[in-house]
Amino acid sequence: MAYAYLFKYIIIGDTGVGKSCLLLQFTDKRFQPVHDLTIGVEFGARMITIDGKQIKLQIWDTAGQESFRSITRSYYRGAAGALLVYDITRRDTFNHLTTWLEDARQHSNSNMVIMLIGNKSDLESRREVKKEEGEAFAREHGLIFMETSAKTASNVEEAFINTAKEIYEKIQEGVFDINNEANGIKIGPQHATTNSTLSGSQGGQQAGGGCC
Amino acid sequence: MYLQEYEARAGKAGSGGTSPTQPQHGRRKNLDFEPLSTTALILEDRPSNLPAKPVEEAQRHRQEYDEMVAEAKKRELKEAQRKRKEMKERFKQEDSIANAMVVWNHDILPNWDNMRNTRRVRELWWQGLPPNVRGKVWSLAIGNELNITPGMYVICLCFILDGASLADRESSLDLIKLDISRTFPPLFIFQKGGPYHDLLHSVLGAYTCYRPDVGYVQGMSFIAAVLILNLEEADAFIAFANLLNKPCQLAFFRVDHDLMLKYFAAFEVFFEENLPRLFNHFQISNLTPDLYLIDWIFTLYSKSLPLDVACRVWDVFCRDGEEFLFRTGLGILRLYEDVLLQMDFIHSAQFLTRLPEDIDSDRLFACIVAMPMLNGNKKWSQVSSSKHKKTGK
Repeated sequence: MAYAYLFKYIIIGDTGVGKSCLLLQFTDKRFQPVHDLTIGVEFGARMITIDGKQIKLQIWDTAGQESFRSITRSYYRGAAGALLVYDITRRDTFNHLTTWLEDARQHSNSNMVIMLIGNKSDLESRREVKKEEGEAFAREHGLIFMETSAKTASNVEEAFINTAKEIYEKIQEGVFDINNEANGIKIGPQHATTNSTLSGSQGGQQAGGGCC
Repeated sequence: MYLQEYEARAGKAGSGGTSPTQPQHGRRKNLDFEPLSTTALILEDRPSNLPAKPVEEAQRHRQEYDEMVAEAKKRELKEAQRKRKEMKERFKQEDSIANAMVVWNHDILPNWDNMRNTRRVRELWWQGLPPNVRGKVWSLAIGNELNITPGMYVICLCFILDGASLADRESSLDLIKLDISRTFPPLFIFQKGGPYHDLLHSVLGAYTCYRPDVGYVQGMSFIAAVLILNLEEADAFIAFANLLNKPCQLAFFRVDHDLMLKYFAAFEVFFEENLPRLFNHFQISNLTPDLYLIDWIFTLYSKSLPLDVACRVWDVFCRDGEEFLFRTGLGILRLYEDVLLQMDFIHSAQFLTRLPEDIDSDRLFACIVAMPMLNGNKKWSQVSSSKHKKTGK
């Protein structure tokens, strides 16, 4: 499928908070209770529509263990959006947010949109971090915030799409230089030749792998 | 529409229009038993409100039908032949495994030091180790440079059980607990309540005590799990600690990023040499080797390849060392070169970090053979050490 823009996302946060499950829920609309652990980085992709425009999300799902930070750092480059995830049932994953944020700010471009996500909202009885705390942290650091559940799919769609909306608005405002790929945005084949047969055939090739 | 009409008429079979020829009549009778078959339609007379089939058409239909039947019979025969061949193959394979087992147990293992490097043993080794000598051969090949005794393993275990751990190690143990459930989940043997859950926890925990400087790093659980599947507990630990002490594994598990980049750079030299088209394609789409190699090397392919294929890779890895890990990587790229050349960045990256599940070990090994680790006249060890000598990135 042809697209107007391509946004690169990176998903970060402590190990076991549900990063890969969020991705799987968003791309495949399913939940795997026991997900393989991620070593290095894994990938996902999906097409979404914002303001009538097709936008392709290219998502980098990273390993969470602290030892891997030096590797993860090299993956921020060229990301337009980041999902910073913690687990509402594990206080320590919330406490580590500051160091994640420092890392993200230091190694990405300054316009990168960061969405803070408190995952596992279905486990209310085991909650250790109040929703208000997440909101306060987000407010303090200028992030967007949402609580999600990769298990029930609650807010998962919204988390990925709202991040894209924010990026899209920044493009409209001229904050992002879309001709500089280091910003994590690529103009797709659809943009120049909307609805022409040419863009259609290019799009067909793009979708060769068949996942999106 | 025709079918409906046919069904309606099939109820009063035989009472319909007269058949022009005897054989057809006979067949029609037969067909009454399976009125829904589409081939029946070919032979069926037209509905009474339409003009009857001309003789030539009826004849042609009969001929077509006979051809179809003959074709189906041929297919059946072929299928039976294929199955017989498959069975024969399997028996042959089982035979050769049984034979190999005898050779390993009676000839090779008792004379290990003299025979391990002979051509005959190396060839036999390449074909894959029989499952019940696998652990033994791995142990011997990995060696015990660190001189770990089973007693030392028990001491490390006691330290952990006593809870004599630093705060640091405690978080390590939490992490191990979390990861064990995520190690080979489809096997259901390492998960809580599974037969090897505690064992895996012990081996990994003991290692954090034995090597606090390395600690627990994700990926280790897969290596320990594969060893546990093939060795007794203490032997698994000894093999584990020695395996992780090899330079390549140490570089990765210490997450020494600069050193890792040098391994990737050496890999790229052989990648370009062996598969120039794919190498260029990846360069253009910005797909760097770290994106797929990290997972492959950290887990020694046990997470990315089917377990039986991974064990065969381990067999030769134990024989040839780190070089074989990178050679296997090239073999995978060669195996899927044609598909990968058609893919853009994201599809290639997804493909390589989640390889097809039906990967065939013979085909993969045929591709690995086709990847000589030679750059000009330089071997892997020479290229890799020249990368390591260069300072900085």
